[in-house]
Order: sequence, then structure tokens, then C-alpha cells
Amino acid sequence: MSIIKRISNRLIDILLSIWEFIKKLWRHPKGRVGLIMVLFLAFLAVFAPLIAPYDPYDVTQRAAKGLSPSWNHLLGTTITTGQDIFSMLIYGTRVSLLVGLVTGIAIAFLGAILGIIAGYVGGLADNTIMRIVDVMLVIPTLPLTIVITNLFGKSYFIIVLIFVVFGWTGLARVVRSLVLVLKNSNYVKASELAGGSRWHIMTKHILPGVSHLLIMNTALTCAGIMVAEAGLSFLGLGDPTAISWGKMLADAQSGGALLFGHWWWIMAPGIGIFIAVFSFMRIGLVMEEILNPRMKASSGIYKLFKTLNNTYIQEVFAKMDEGNEDLPKGEAL
Amino acid sequence: MQRSFVIKRILYAIFIFFVVLTLNFFIPRLGVNDPAERYYPPQGNMSEIEYEIIKQVTREQYGFDVSTFKQYTNYVSGLLRFDLGNSFKADNPKVSDLIAERLPWTLVLSVSNLVISLSIGLIFGTVAAWKRGRWQDSLLLNLSTISVALPAFFIALILSFYFGFELELFPAYTNPNMVSQFDWSLDAIKVVFYNAALPIISMSIGGIIGYSQRTRNSVIAVTNEEFVLTARAKGLSQNKVLFKHTLRNAMLPIVTAVGMSLSGLIGGAVIIEQIFNWNGMGTLFLEANNTNDYPLMMGIMLFMSTIAILANLIVELTYSLLDPRITVGEKR
Amino acid sequence: MSNILLKLRNLKVIFPANQGIVRAVEGIDIDIAKGECVALVGESGCGKSVTSLAIMRLLNTPPALIDVKEINLDGEDISKYSETKMQTVRGKQISMIFQDAMTALNPVMTVGKQIDEVYLKHNNISKQEARKQTIEALRLVGIPEPESRAKAFPHQLSGGLRQRVLIAMAFACMPKLIIADEPTTALDVTIQAQVLNVLSQMQRSHNVSLLLITHDLSVVAHTADLVYVMYAGKIVEKARVEDLFKKPHHPYTEGLLGSIPRLSDSKKHFIQIPDSVPHPMFKPSGCYFHPRCKYVTDKCKELMPPLVKIDKDREIRCFYPLNVDKEGKL
Repeated sequence: MSIIKRISNRLIDILLSIWEFIKKLWRHPKGRVGLIMVLFLAFLAVFAPLIAPYDPYDVTQRAAKGLSPSWNHLLGTTITTGQDIFSMLIYGTRVSLLVGLVTGIAIAFLGAILGIIAGYVGGLADNTIMRIVDVMLVIPTLPLTIVITNLFGKSYFIIVLIFVVFGWTGLARVVRSLVLVLKNSNYVKASELAGGSRWHIMTKHILPGVSHLLIMNTALTCAGIMVAEAGLSFLGLGDPTAISWGKMLADAQSGGALLFGHWWWIMAPGIGIFIAVFSFMRIGLVMEEILNPRMKASSGIYKLFKTLNNTYIQEVFAKMDEGNEDLPKGEAL
Repeated sequence: MQRSFVIKRILYAIFIFFVVLTLNFFIPRLGVNDPAERYYPPQGNMSEIEYEIIKQVTREQYGFDVSTFKQYTNYVSGLLRFDLGNSFKADNPKVSDLIAERLPWTLVLSVSNLVISLSIGLIFGTVAAWKRGRWQDSLLLNLSTISVALPAFFIALILSFYFGFELELFPAYTNPNMVSQFDWSLDAIKVVFYNAALPIISMSIGGIIGYSQRTRNSVIAVTNEEFVLTARAKGLSQNKVLFKHTLRNAMLPIVTAVGMSLSGLIGGAVIIEQIFNWNGMGTLFLEANNTNDYPLMMGIMLFMSTIAILANLIVELTYSLLDPRITVGEKR
Repeated sequence: MSNILLKLRNLKVIFPANQGIVRAVEGIDIDIAKGECVALVGESGCGKSVTSLAIMRLLNTPPALIDVKEINLDGEDISKYSETKMQTVRGKQISMIFQDAMTALNPVMTVGKQIDEVYLKHNNISKQEARKQTIEALRLVGIPEPESRAKAFPHQLSGGLRQRVLIAMAFACMPKLIIADEPTTALDVTIQAQVLNVLSQMQRSHNVSLLLITHDLSVVAHTADLVYVMYAGKIVEKARVEDLFKKPHHPYTEGLLGSIPRLSDSKKHFIQIPDSVPHPMFKPSGCYFHPRCKYVTDKCKELMPPLVKIDKDREIRCFYPLNVDKEGKL
């Protein structure tokens, strides 16, 4: 098979497993909520110009500065420029979701590939990769981002780049540990004995084994990235012309929202960040429950015990006595 | 602890240090051929010749007039003498002096944060694990998910707004004079912590919840292990089982977690410091950034990385002390 | 009267879950005489480990629900004891040896300290005195150089030595009853024999009763005096060991015996019991063994056979027991 065909096959496999996960998420009540929230945010991001009442980029649509919330401006306007805060809130989803998802997916790719190589191939590859991880982990990312934006200009592209270059390390480590375990499993050994090439084993056997971990980790990573992006935007390291929640917070602070009591200017972007991060985290945590049913089941037991029907329990016990066993056993709880 | 293990870890740490140092050296030199241009970017109203002269002077002043290799060796030898170069500020103070001056202030925040988060977190986490399935546990779980989604700096803004501006209980912008007026008197200490209260609380809220969740998970995981059952089967009291067996093992992952936060001890509070105008390393770095003070910026970065390396080393060695499976030799 | 050390009467244990109830133990009685070794045999999932934990009252109430008439240890009913009082019983009057010594020992504590703990808890002695006794206990189970071994961590010892540490820990305060839950399953065959010998010899020389929980009949043949066969939470046969091996009455026992490889066998095939143990939540109607029994009849499918006492130390739960001689011991 040509390389292109092989790669596209693998990609299709990956997409299929993602679809599997979405279905499982949907069945889980909490997962459904998270999924809906994420879809809602994505919807806002894509259709922002249609949904937002004003265009914050359009100078002619500015209103009086520092307005309090009213029906015209649901969240008031900024003190500094008179932009409609509610519209800014909606447009802000674009930066957050874009940065979060692009970074998350890129980290998933890099982290998975390097983690699998390090774990499966081992030896020199493993050593080099792990040493690089160690070095990257000691460099403080926030100051580094500040330095790089100083040298090369402020943009989200640079921010995403730095996140990705430094962010794959955590995932790679975790993937590597899992791969080390999978390496010793029977089906992998069987495949090796049957003469499978390393590439084949890594993609056909090991990759599906880590796919669950990957997807769960990616959701949580996206959540973390969005928080970090908010912080960097707050410090003004992102594109100054773009609207992002972090920047809104910075403008609010420097524009005197705290001084003049315009709490809505602070709360709006904060709640935006909260909803975005929370929904991704929800998805990630629900996936973790799906993958590790033990933790969830054990906590559920306590709830179960609170609602036990005592008479039923006594019946169950009574039916175990000699002579009673043949009475019909009701199973409903 | 075996000596060979300790030596190996230390050598490795030194190796990482050199890699970081080298990166640190090259980063400001990225993107330009002549480092002098970084340090003194071209101004519009200068003629070519004037600019050349200025660059030459800059080169001599900052030691760029020698080969890059020589610059590197100068750099390293300077480091061994703890000389990180001189800042661009008026009078070119030594970078190391500036760091030394501001470092304690950052430590006031980060160390307080660590102590508070760890102590309350451990207790709350253990209680949540003990009362598994009851309200303490569910509360912690809900708080955890919420806490991650509320970044510390947002909490800082809210606290600063409500307690600082509205209620005026704590200063929303900290008092810069407190730095110069500091003697070690009790009054001075009180002033410091009064100013530091809001920043520390902003950071600790997330920290407490984080450590609580970690502790709770760790304790529950250990409680399910068989040796805890063995301990109970020996007739030991619940307290004995908890402290001597469960917690002793549950603490191991927490030590690792503390280690990871030690790395961020200095750099982690940048945003918080900025919000409250707290004169620590974070604001120093931001000032350096605003004035393109490269020696200062890179000096601080190197310092932070070094602290991270040291912190990792200490944590590795401590962990191996606590967990005999790591260093003590294998089967006899 | 009191030749009987442990009288367990009508123990029932269930684990409620969302999908249904796991009926782990369904009303069993066990008698253990003083100085005797009693084996509780069955496949995994039949409820034997749960029984042992229930006797020591180590089952936590979520997730388990326990109902028992009596746990009589040497005249005292410990089923009603408070937790504090049970702590004086555990380790001192009843102790337990777990299956996997690697996970049963605290990895960050030396083995010596872990044994010291037992002495210190139940006796009013000093640490040095406790250590002396620990060293003696290690010596008794055949661990060479006990003084230095006591300072070792569990991962530093070999599997066999670790298991002996567990045995030493269990025998420390010379309890009346020791429960050994699959003490040799995690070990190599050669080490198994050694460990069993130690266990046997310690038990007999100190007149300690032993409740041996296992799925391995060869272990039973080697060490036990009396055997209870358990299936899906119920006792299906009780017999003295010679009787069990010579004339098993229950088809399940016959199946178990048939699957032991023996050097003297001229058979070409193992007798296998088809299928596997029923899911503890969804047990069959009638006799729990009927789906796998080659002698099954319609009666077996509908009614649960009662546990019938044929003789002293001989019970059988089957409508059509095997190897019944002409007098028809029913």
C-alpha cells in the first residue's frame, strides 16, 4: 500500500475511535452536558458575527463609554473604548477555542508519536526523547513566552507554538509509561513473533491501546491550555488586535473597572473562561470515568447504600436459609 | 541511600544545567546576526555611520566584540562566579543584585502559598478520603472541577475588587514603600503580610483544592491495597493503620507533586504580582521586558531554571529516602 | 464440649450493586476443632475469601452486608464485638496469612518492624523485647540470619522468604486460629512445598488450628484433616480428607479430583468440568451446580438440595450423591 493510503487509513481509524467516544459520552448524563456545552461554544465561535449584537471590531459601532448593563447593551460597554461587552464575550470564544483545540490536537499528535517511539523502540531514541523532556520541564514557560514574544513579536501563533513545543512533554511521559506496559502484552508479542514490522505494531496495536488515554488527556489539556492562554493574553502577549477573554480582563483592570465598580466587565470574561474550561474538563473527567470504571463504581456504592430497602435485604437473607431457597428470587432493587 | 545513586542524580542535574545555560545564551541571539542590534535596535533618526559607531560601542561594552565561542566561555565563567551580567537600568546594576533584592518578596508569596496549601490540603484531603462518599467528599469533587476552571488571576481580580476596592479591607495595590522600610521588626512583618494577604489567598484557594484532591485520591488508592488489610488483620487500631501504614505510603505521590510546584516557586506568581503591583521577581521580569533589558530577562530565566533543576534534584533525593524501593538494592 | 474452637453458624454475605445483588456467601456453617487443619476448597469466586474476612470481621459495610447467627471462638461469640474489642482479637486470637506476600506487606516498612507491631500491640513489652521475639519468630519459620533479615524491606526478599515472614507474623502471638488464604498460590511449586511444610509443622507443634483456604486439592491432601467444599456460596460437601479423596459424594468434588494431574495416571485426558462458575449475581435455579453436572435430572433443575448430615464430619448437598454404598447413606 502506498504511504498516503496507509496514513489515511490510520487517520480514519483515529476518527472512528473519536466517534466511538463521542457516542459513549453522549450516553453518560454528565458527559452529555459537557458535550453540549462545547458544541454551544463552538457554535458561538463560528457564528459570532451573526449572533453578537454589535461588531466589536467596527469602530463605527462603538457606543458611549462605560455604560452599565441595559437592554441595549446586555453587559454594558467598556470604559476605555465603548465597545459592547456582550459582543466581545461572544467573539472571545474564537481565540480561546482555536488556541485550545489547535494546541491540544497538536500536543496529542506530538506527544503520542514521541511517547510511543520512546516506549516501544526504547534505547537511544528513548534516552534522547526523555532527556529533552527533562530539559523542557525545567524551563519556566511563562517567562520564556514573554522573552520570545519580545524577540519575535506578539501573536497567538507564537503562543501556540511555545505551548506545543513545551506541552508535548507531559503527554509523552504518560504515553510512554503505558506503552512500556503494552509492550509486554501477549498480542504485541504475538505480532512481533509473526514478523510484524515495528511501524505496523506501533500503529496497529500500540496506538489503539493508548487512544483512550490520548483522547481523555487531550480534553484535559485543552482545558489547561485555555487557562494558560487567558493568563498570557492578560499579560498582553497575544495579538493586541484580537479579542480574547484574558485581554478583556487586563483592559478591565487597567481601564479602572475595579475602581469604578464595573464588576460586569470583570465577571463576563471570567465566566467565559470558566464555562469553556469547565466544559472541556467535564468531558475529560467523564472519559476518565469511562476508562476507569472502578473509581466511579466505588463512590456509587455509598449512594446505593443510603437508599437500600431494608425489608428487601432481610428477604434476600431469609431466602438463603434451608428450605426457603426454592421460592422465587425477585431481582429488582 | 546509595552513594552512586546520589552522584548520578547530581551529575545529571549538572548536565541539564549546562544544556539550559546554553539555550539561555543563544535565545537572545536568535533572529539577528549581530547581538548588538538586539541590545540597541536601530532608531529612525540616525545615520548609518552613527548607528555603526553606537553598535561598536555596545559591542565593546557588552563583550560582543569577540567571537561567539569566546562570548560563551565568558558567559559560563561569569556564571561560575555568580555573575549574570549587568542590567540596562540606570547605573547598570548587577543582575544578581537585582535578583537578590526582589527574590525574598516573591518568596514571601510563594512559600506562604505552599505552606498554606499543603497543610490545609493534606488535612482536608485525608478527611475527604476517610469520609468517602459523604458530603465532604462530594464537596471536594465539585470544588475541584470548579477550581481548575477559575484561574488564580481571575480570583485575584475578584478578591482585589471586592475586598480591596469595595470593602477596603486589604490593599488592592500593595504599598511599594514597604520594601524600603523593611527592618525585621514585628510591625514591619505585619505590614508585609497585610499587603500580601490578598495575593496569597488568591493563589492558595486553588492550591488548597489541588492538594486536597491529590491527597484524597492517594489515600483512597492506598487504602485499597492489601497491606492495609494486613495491618487491620493484626488488630492495629484505626489511628495506627492510618498514620503508620496508609499515610506513610499515600504521601509519596504528594512529595512528587510538591516537587513540581517547587519548580514554579519563583516564576509562578508573575501575573498575581502584576495585579497587586507586588515588587517581586515577577514584576522585575515584566519591567525588564518592557525596557528590553535582555541581560536582566535572561538572567532571571536562568535563575528560575536553576531553581527548578535544584528543586527536582531535592525532590528526587527526598523521595528515594522515603521509598526504599528506589535506591536500596534488589534481592539478596 | 470444647474440642471445637470455632463455630461459625449461618454466615450470609451479600454485595448490593446497581445491577443486582451479589450473593457471595449463602448461609454456611463451619466447625474447626482445636489443633485441627480445616480446608475450605472451591474455585475462585465461590466465596471462600469473603468467608475468611467475615470471620475476622474485616468486611466493611459498604460494600458488604453481613448476616450471621454466631461466630463462636472458644466459647465467646465475637460476631457482636465492637470494633475496639475485635482489635484485641485480631492478631492475638485469630490471625490471617494473605495470598501474595508482596502486596500484603507494607513496602516502606522493614519486615522486622511489621512483625514487632503485632507484639507491641498485644503485649505490654518494650521495643527491644518485641524485636527479640520477632527475631525468634523469623528463626522459627526457617529464615536464615534473622537479625539482619529483619531489617530488610519486603522487596529485598525472595518470594518464599516473604511468605515465611507472613507466616511468622501470623504465629507471633500464638493465636488459637490462623486463617491462611491461598498461602501458596503465588509461589513456585518447589517453594510451595517448603512453605506448606513450615505451616504444617508450626501448626502441629503449637497446637494451633488452621483454616486453609485454597482451590488447589493437592495442597489439601498434603495438609488438611477436614475439608469443606464450597460452590457458589454454599457448602456442598464436608468430609475428612481421606474420605473425600477416596469416596467423594458430590459431582463437583468428583470433578475437582478428576482434574488433578497425577504421575500414576494412565488416563489420557483430564476430566474437565464444563462451563465455569455461575455469576454471583445471576445464579441458576435449583441446585447451583446443575448446569455443569453430568448426572443432572429435572429435580436438580428445580429444587435446591438441602445439606444433609450423613455422619459425624460428613455432609452432602445433593439429591443423588455418588459413591453411596449399599446401605444408602441418606
